[in-house]
Parts: sequence; C-alpha cells; structure tokens
Amino acid sequence: MSPERMAGHPLSLALPKGRLFNQALEHFAARGLCVSPPDRELIVTDNKGMLRIFIVKNSDLPVYVSHGIAGLGICGSDVLYESGGVFFELLEFSFGSARMCLAAREDHDQDAAIKHLKVATKFPVFTRNFFNRRGIPVEIIKLNGSVELAPVLGLAPYIVDLVETGSTLKANGLKIVEELENTRVKLIANPAYYKVHYGEVDTFVGFLKERA
Amino acid sequence: MNPNSRAFLQLPQGTESFYLEEALEHEETVQGLKKFFASWGYLPVQTPVFDFYDIYRPFFDHAAAEKIYRLVDREGDLLMLRSDATLFLAKQLGRLENSSLPLRVFYADTILRHQDAEDISRNEFYQIGAELIGEGGSFADLEALMLLAGCLQTAGLEDYRIHLGSREVFGAALPDTDDKQAAAAVSLRDAPALEDILSRAGCEKEKAGFLVQLFLYIGDSGGLEELAARGKARGYINCDLEKALDYLSLLWAQLEELGVSGLFRLDLSETASQGYYTGIVFQAYKEGIDSAFASGGRYDKLLARFGFDAPSVGFSLMLSKIENFLSGIHGPRQRSCESAGGKTFAEAFRGAEEKRKSGIPVVIKGNPA
Repeated sequence: MSPERMAGHPLSLALPKGRLFNQALEHFAARGLCVSPPDRELIVTDNKGMLRIFIVKNSDLPVYVSHGIAGLGICGSDVLYESGGVFFELLEFSFGSARMCLAAREDHDQDAAIKHLKVATKFPVFTRNFFNRRGIPVEIIKLNGSVELAPVLGLAPYIVDLVETGSTLKANGLKIVEELENTRVKLIANPAYYKVHYGEVDTFVGFLKERA
Repeated sequence: MNPNSRAFLQLPQGTESFYLEEALEHEETVQGLKKFFASWGYLPVQTPVFDFYDIYRPFFDHAAAEKIYRLVDREGDLLMLRSDATLFLAKQLGRLENSSLPLRVFYADTILRHQDAEDISRNEFYQIGAELIGEGGSFADLEALMLLAGCLQTAGLEDYRIHLGSREVFGAALPDTDDKQAAAAVSLRDAPALEDILSRAGCEKEKAGFLVQLFLYIGDSGGLEELAARGKARGYINCDLEKALDYLSLLWAQLEELGVSGLFRLDLSETASQGYYTGIVFQAYKEGIDSAFASGGRYDKLLARFGFDAPSVGFSLMLSKIENFLSGIHGPRQRSCESAGGKTFAEAFRGAEEKRKSGIPVVIKGNPA
C-alpha cells in the first residue's frame, strides 16, 4: 500500500512534547511528510493524510499507546523501560540517543567503591534494576524534573539522569561518575493495533526507513 | 463529606459493576452465547471461585503471579481467587474418566485479577469460553475455530480478524533455541532479538533471515506457501516444519471452502503467552480494542499435569472487551416501559399481565393507599 493510498485512513501516532517532537518532525520532513508546527493544538495532521498525531507528555506516551488510543508512538528506550509495557518495537531512529549516567558533585571521590547508593532520579525502575544486577542496594528518591539540584542541595549524593552534552551537569557543579547505558529512540506499536493495521504500519515503517 | 464516602466511592482494582440496561445487555449476551454453545452440543461447567494456589503456581510467571488475589484459609493453606477460567477447568477435568471422552464443555464466569490503574482498560473481568476435550486432529481444531467465529457472529461482532499461528511450526523451526526467549522474541515480532537467538544457536545467517521472515509473515495461505517453497528450495525447511506448515494449509483450505477465510489471517508470530499450547494457537483482534479479545489453541499435554491425559483444544473470550461493539443478541437500548394502574392492586396486576402478553415490559403503577 502506498502512502497516498493510506490517505483517509491515517495511522494514529503519539509524539512526545519537546526535543524529540522537533527531531521526529525533521525526520518526517526530510522524507516529504510535512507537519505544520502546532500553535497550541495537541492533535495535528500531516500534508499527506498519513498520520493523526497526538502530542503528549513524554512519560505519558506509553500509556496512550498501551491503551490503543494512539496505535503508534515515538519514544526513548528509557521511557519504555520505566513503563514496563509490552510493545512492538518497529524501528530504531538515528536521532535522539542519549547517555543514561550516574552523576555526583565534582568533589566526589571517583575511586571510592560504591557499596550502597542513595540516588535521586526520574528513572527509578532502570536505576534499581541496573544496580541490583551488580549486587548494589539502591535507595531511590523519585523526582520529576531538575534532578541536578538533588546533590547540590543535599537531597541525595547521586543522580541517575539522561545526559546529552553534559553542560547542565557542569553548570551545577556535577560530574559524570559512570555512563550506564545509551538510550535509543524507537517507533513502537500497540500489538493489537499493529495486528489490525499491519499493512499500513509496514508501509509507514518502510517510508521512515527511506534515505532522506 | 460523609466519613464513609471513601469506602462507597472506591472500587478495588480488578472489579467492575454493571448497572441497569448495561447489566441487562450483558445478561442477554451471556444467555445468547450459552444457547449457541448448547446448540453445538457443549455442556456447561462451573469452576470454583477459589482453589489452592500451589497447584497453579508453575503456570504463572512473576508478572502474572503478582496480579493474583491470594488469601489464607482456616487451616493456613494459601488460596487464590479464580484469575483464569481455563486453568481452573483443567484441574476439574482431571477427575474425569476416559470413557466420558470426547467431552464438549463451555463456561461463563467472572475472573478476578488485579489490574494496575494504567492497565484498567484491559477489562479482563468476564471469561466465556469452550473446550473440546479428548479429540485431536483437524476436525477438532476447525471446530474450535468455527465455534469462536460462530460465537462472535451470534453476539453480533463485526470487522474482527482471528490470527492463526502454530506452536508446532515454532517448535519445528526453532528446535535448538531457548524456548521462552525465542517465544518472547517471536510474539513481540522482535527481528533483531530472534536473529541473535538463532545466531547463538548456530543457525547460519541466510537461514536465520528466512526464519525471521517466516515468523513475521501475516496473510493468507498462498503467501505462506510461496515463502515456504522458497525456504524448501534452499534446504531451510526440515521434515517436521514442512508437516506443520502443510497442516496450516489444510486448515486454511477448509476455512476457504466454508467461505470464512476472510475472517482469518495466518500469523506465525502467534505463539501464545501460555507455554502449555502444543498445536494451533489463535487470538482475535478488532479496531478500537487495545489487546486481543479472544485467545485459544490446542493444549495436548496440559491435562496430564492434572492427572488426566487427553488432547484438547479450546478458547476463551473476554466479554467485557467487546460488549460496546455488539449488536447481535440484544436490541437497541430501551429504558422506557409501559405502566398499568388501577384502584386496587389486583386490577393493576391484571392490566399489567394483559399488556405483557404483547412482549412489552410493564411496571405496576402507584400505591393509592
């Protein structure tokens, strides 16, 4: 089925607000699929009628896809891991990858062996599982943003967070203790939605794989 | 606020209530489906609300076990509430005599399992299903498939598809791999993970590519046969795999002859989450429903674990998932009904009875005293 034939039966796609939203739209635009940047609307469409796009909060995206409200979603592997949901992972994008890092204040002793961790993070599931696999017990303080403040203000000596350039860490007197994992941005599908629309979804995946 | 209002307003996770017309429609649908099963010669069975947890523990992975409501009885034994009608039924069937086979049974029961707030839309509260015990072979498999299709037609569900896979194909194609890991990769249609598993099992790259293509296939029998022919020409299909694929073609030919193949798709990524399936496996999907609303398959070894060895095939349908889409058994929602009054109760009663003869619901009106 060609993208043109899909017009009139758009696929539903959830996109996260912020940095990933713009990168996804750039990826689409490079393949001729244009979406006008929304003003305040949270539901938008593209110029080919392929997609009905819902703009949602990053951490809520797996919920929308899991309930089948959006059949597809573009999302970081970090958010997927935290959600614990079951999705088909259809494609890995070249954009948007980041490093999941353990960070502490700049005066942290890099050579000290870590036997117990008190960590502030937006990613409690990943953090607990990662360090428990190493046999290190972790005390988690769940935060929803500005995680870098935690070591500065004394809430927790460590944070686990996504790091792109490291400039925010540096500006707040923090440093990377260890890079734990590279996250990747993925196209995911609700399994039942995929089974109903597999022809159209495969066409869309093929379209996204095309060289720009 | 009334100090007790919290208790009144909150519902424990995993429970639901039906009210008024909704309850009536649910009841009509269940009664209609029970009649349908009976017309195929299926007898009703009822499973206990709770049973000993230890018996069923080996069938649950960690995530499924967490959703089960457990309680302790007076002797201190750990019990579980019915979270899956099929498993409770399997234990009951273990008490049967071989002479009673083949046996056709159906059940319609509430199930109780915890659902997270984010998972609540799954609506897995009411299972209705059927099992054909003591019959192997294509007649029994086709009976289960046609019974499900007939069930959905009776209920008035449209635009759904039943995806048909095979645990035999899975076993024959991937004999040297870790069963659980490979089944997870196949059911998640995770091509890189499956390639990795095959490579670790010593499968050459081209053959692994072919097998991945095979398991990702969704479509009719013609496409699968073409794919299989290409694999066979390259020597990628062993004798068992060929036999398992031929069996799917045989089933498909019968579905075509019955004119219902449009309701089905061959889908080899259907391997079933429950490890006890041994032959065909199937799940049904529909636009607007967030997960499979029916699932089933052949489980020839399950009953042996409860002391009764008999080949079996069956399915269960999560009725709550599809109730908003049904149009078959119950008519349009109708709240209004007529009333009948009179100077005395006897007069009102007779008037109401007279009107009820025409099939209209009638309430007895008023109390003049």
